Amino acid sequence: MTNGKIFFDETRRILFAAVIALLVALVIILIASKNPLETFQTFIAGPLSSKRTVGNWIDDSAKLALAGLAFSLVFQARQFALGVQGQVYAGGTVAAAIALSPLGLSWVSIPVAAIAAMMAGAFLGFIPGYAKAKLNANEIVSSLMLNYIAYDIANLFLRLYLASPKSGLTASEAFPASAVYPAFIARTRIDLGVVLALGAVAIVWFLLYRTAWGLRLRLTGHNARFAAYSGIRSNFIMVSAMTASGAIGGLLGALFVQGQGFAKIVVGFEGGLSFEGILIAIVARNRPLAIPFVALGYGYLRQGAALMGYRTDVPAEVIGIVQGIVILLVASSFTLPGRAFLNRIMGGSSAARAPST
Amino acid sequence: MNEIFDTILSAAFVAAVIRTTTPVLFASLGGLLSDLVGSLNVALEGMMLIGALTAVIVSAYAPWYVGVLAGLAVGGLLGALMALFHLRFKADVILVGFAVNIIAAGGTVTALNYATGGDKGTSINLPSKAVPSLDLSFLDAIPGIGPVLTQMFSGHSYLTWLAVFLVFAIWYFLYRTPEGLRFRAVGEYPAAAEAAGISPNRLRTYGLVASGALAGLGGAQLAMFNFVGFTRDMTAGRGFIALGAVLLGRRHPVGTAIAAVLFGAFEALSIALPGILPRVPGEVIHTIPFVVTVLALMLSSKRRVTA
Amino acid sequence: MKPFLEAIGIDKTYPGGVHANKNVDLTVAHSEVHAVVGENGAGKSTLMKILFGVEQPNAGEIRLDGTPITLHSPRAAIAHGIGMVFQHFSLVPSFTVAENVVLGVEPRNGLKMDRKRAAETVQALADRFRLPVDVEAPVERLPVGQQQRVEILKALYRDAKLLILDEPTAVLAPQEVEELFSAIRSLTAQGRTVLFIAHKLPEVIEISNTISVMRAGQMVGRVDKKDATEAGLARMMVGRDVALKVTRAKPGDHPHLCRISGLTIKNDRGLDAISGMDIVLRAGEIVGIAAVEGNGQSELFEAIGGLRPVEAGSVELNGVDIVAVPVDQRRDAGLAHIPEDRIATGSAGGASVAENIVATELENERFVRHGLLDLGAIRKHAVELIERFSVRVSGPDAAIGTLSGGNMQKVVVARELSSDPKLLLVSHPTRGVDLGATEFIWQRIALARDAGSAVFLTSADLSELLSLSDRMIVLYRGRIVAAFSNTTELTPEMLGSYMLGFAEQPVHERQAALA
Repeated sequence: MTNGKIFFDETRRILFAAVIALLVALVIILIASKNPLETFQTFIAGPLSSKRTVGNWIDDSAKLALAGLAFSLVFQARQFALGVQGQVYAGGTVAAAIALSPLGLSWVSIPVAAIAAMMAGAFLGFIPGYAKAKLNANEIVSSLMLNYIAYDIANLFLRLYLASPKSGLTASEAFPASAVYPAFIARTRIDLGVVLALGAVAIVWFLLYRTAWGLRLRLTGHNARFAAYSGIRSNFIMVSAMTASGAIGGLLGALFVQGQGFAKIVVGFEGGLSFEGILIAIVARNRPLAIPFVALGYGYLRQGAALMGYRTDVPAEVIGIVQGIVILLVASSFTLPGRAFLNRIMGGSSAARAPST
Repeated sequence: MNEIFDTILSAAFVAAVIRTTTPVLFASLGGLLSDLVGSLNVALEGMMLIGALTAVIVSAYAPWYVGVLAGLAVGGLLGALMALFHLRFKADVILVGFAVNIIAAGGTVTALNYATGGDKGTSINLPSKAVPSLDLSFLDAIPGIGPVLTQMFSGHSYLTWLAVFLVFAIWYFLYRTPEGLRFRAVGEYPAAAEAAGISPNRLRTYGLVASGALAGLGGAQLAMFNFVGFTRDMTAGRGFIALGAVLLGRRHPVGTAIAAVLFGAFEALSIALPGILPRVPGEVIHTIPFVVTVLALMLSSKRRVTA
Repeated sequence: MKPFLEAIGIDKTYPGGVHANKNVDLTVAHSEVHAVVGENGAGKSTLMKILFGVEQPNAGEIRLDGTPITLHSPRAAIAHGIGMVFQHFSLVPSFTVAENVVLGVEPRNGLKMDRKRAAETVQALADRFRLPVDVEAPVERLPVGQQQRVEILKALYRDAKLLILDEPTAVLAPQEVEELFSAIRSLTAQGRTVLFIAHKLPEVIEISNTISVMRAGQMVGRVDKKDATEAGLARMMVGRDVALKVTRAKPGDHPHLCRISGLTIKNDRGLDAISGMDIVLRAGEIVGIAAVEGNGQSELFEAIGGLRPVEAGSVELNGVDIVAVPVDQRRDAGLAHIPEDRIATGSAGGASVAENIVATELENERFVRHGLLDLGAIRKHAVELIERFSVRVSGPDAAIGTLSGGNMQKVVVARELSSDPKLLLVSHPTRGVDLGATEFIWQRIALARDAGSAVFLTSADLSELLSLSDRMIVLYRGRIVAAFSNTTELTPEMLGSYMLGFAEQPVHERQAALA
């Protein structure tokens, strides 16, 4: 398959997902809203209604891209580690601690907090990986459990050490300006986080497609037994993929708390965004370079849904339904025109697996 | 420390464990049935959540048992939906399961918003009903241990006894009936079942539907007995813990039930502890069931590797 | 008499474009043993899958007792009294023989399954058709020959009038073949019809009443037993007089290269798969392992290849023990491995041909420097190998999973031989590969031997072993029970009695051939 064809296929796939998402949203709005036309208009046009909303869209997209990147890395290794949420809380808490420390009075706190957040996330990513490699513990369950644990511990830490009494112990004081990501466009949330997200995309792409580690990881994902047979230390690859994914999750935590959106740490700051990375990764078929585009597209819908939640009688949570249905449809193999044909070929090759005499 | 032991050894604690175990036990038995035929159901969490909300809303307008049946039915439908996408459209079962979880998280809030006329947090203004409890106070008459037995076993939901019955019913089904033999054959070696004229995908569909129905029952128990009423994200990881119980239970109904009781016990402990140890932060106590699940998973899996 | 089964004008093209059956006719009489012979890739299996409803023909008609029937699934075939035993058995390992046989058509007693009746019925069938087997034993404990009986019993339990056996002798030792044949005779004596797929001609002539020959997707002839000769059938099968021949190793000095001592390996169930094996492999020599499936040969290769832990003993390659060494370092030390399953072990189906080829060379400076891939060099290397091994593929970027079996095997062989291995493990190198590719792969293995590799070979096909090996050992239940120099006196029957454990070679004879 040529690069051109892959590009064409992926673009078509992403557009298809977008069409499904819009249709599903339209149907829900038709059912749920007393004033569907106006509601749908808010959903569709809302994100472009002001400089601020455009900024929110771009900022959300950067975060979604990081979450998608974290999932795509483990998915490429065929591991179903779902611990990004916990990593975000760990990374955010560590970043907040640094921002609120004396270090926060200097710009140095930005790189230091980013690195510390990545290390915290990496540690959380490492645990299920190690438990699977050494103890054969199912990574789905252990990573999900760690999400709950990390959330509780982050809240504990916030309440005991970071929170300001004024907030009723649910948020910290605002970080010093030197510890907040500078905005590129005033009074928007378009800040350093966008650059960090794009940088992470480029780095992950390079690691996956230009390094031996990336090839090992992809081969392990294609067929772990083949990888072991070829001399690839697939346990190491698996653990390192989960750890690297954890670092991305940790970085996302720093983006949250130090970005223009919050500039402080708040209970439940992540707001469920991490799991939406699953959708990003799936629609992008785990390809890093497709992730920013998918994130922009989905981020737009998400922003539209949020505005719809504020301004109309349809709650923002409907986006969850849209998201779930898009995952269902995109993960299925009946979706794209031409897919049935592909399946027939695949079916043929699986029949050829039996000794054909 | 002594206070903890006193609590754990008390009849009231046993009663609390039975109560906390019931929802997880339903979901675990469901997870077992789908895992056994080869599709790991990670959607137990979402199925419980949707089952819980459905049961609450329906019970506000109908008798309690109709609410419970509605929870069961909606869970079964979700299982059928998973089967459709996983088996018919060949989507990865874990992705399908997570899609259901995501739909559940957003969908329950959306639906609650409509059912309550604008409340996105709880169903407090819905007159939902509770599952009645089964009075076994006649056990008091047994000399000596009677009162203790009453304290432990009386006053539980009807559904609790249904769950206990199901543990044995599922065991009987799997190991004594022809259909159970087919279930196990599909789980162990689908090609053999297929060659024997059994459709693995049909049994997988049954497994997913049954797992959804049982998870839905678990949700109904949660929102119509353990708590009365629905709150946003009220399952709080119980479906995932149930999945842990499935993995821990070695594909056997009794093993799965024991694992569910273990997790239920730690949940009960995390409810009882704040009263005993007020100085331990609530957040730490709250993590106990999750920590125990991770540890149990690691330790048990390790034994399997070395065995 | 009216024919029992007729297939008329069967045509089948797979979606991938392979034209497997071209206007094939087949007529089978009542109560006969009808053999269908042909080389690998001739289309026999496809035809049988069509007759059993696994595959649907693009054109043609099937008639049973003169009535046209449609077989849209194996269920339909079973309902019409057609049963099939595949080469790969479909038995649930932990279930008993009786449970496996009745699965899907269980006798019941109310809600419960009637275990007693199941066992009795299966026992009665086994007695009636001379297929002795312990009905209460879990099938995972049974040897392959008995598992095959369970498969036949399954078909008979479903009242099969026509039994299709796909290469039933491929997994059996010669003496087990005799037992199978006596069961087949008892089947036809009791009115059942047997359709027998094979490519070993002496057996075919012995058991069949009628023989149909296929070549390249077409039915090329039909011979009665009395007119059949091996040479004649072979000519029809191949279309030319060829016998694949590989030259033996040149006599002379073959230095010791690999010494295996006291090697003990456990299988997946924790039992000894190989116990206390001692053997020396020499450079420039092929050592063949003859064994009935499941006697430790798979575990032996997995362990030497690094996919399975070793319980005790050592494998010294050039004097260095590689038992505790990770796979990448074993490969650095000169190990290469053509595994028995090219799809499950030998390739990553979704990755490209080039990525599959470079997978074993990720430590090599030629392709990876400072952890970075040299995509140009990787591609060039893949293109070279594709040309040198005449792999039919659109290019190095094609996913390997889209290749045909023979071409995929060529990629695996190319990769493993390209590292100039010192010790080469070769497992079923031509399973499911067509004749042309077989010849090619055999020559390449012989070339590697001549270049100084020590080759350790196992195959279910005794003729392949006898054609390639310079020395042969026989494994029975994880032990070497015989060892020979491969001379013209060595026959499949001699190997067979050792393979079944009927005989054990005197220790001194064995020692002499093992050193």
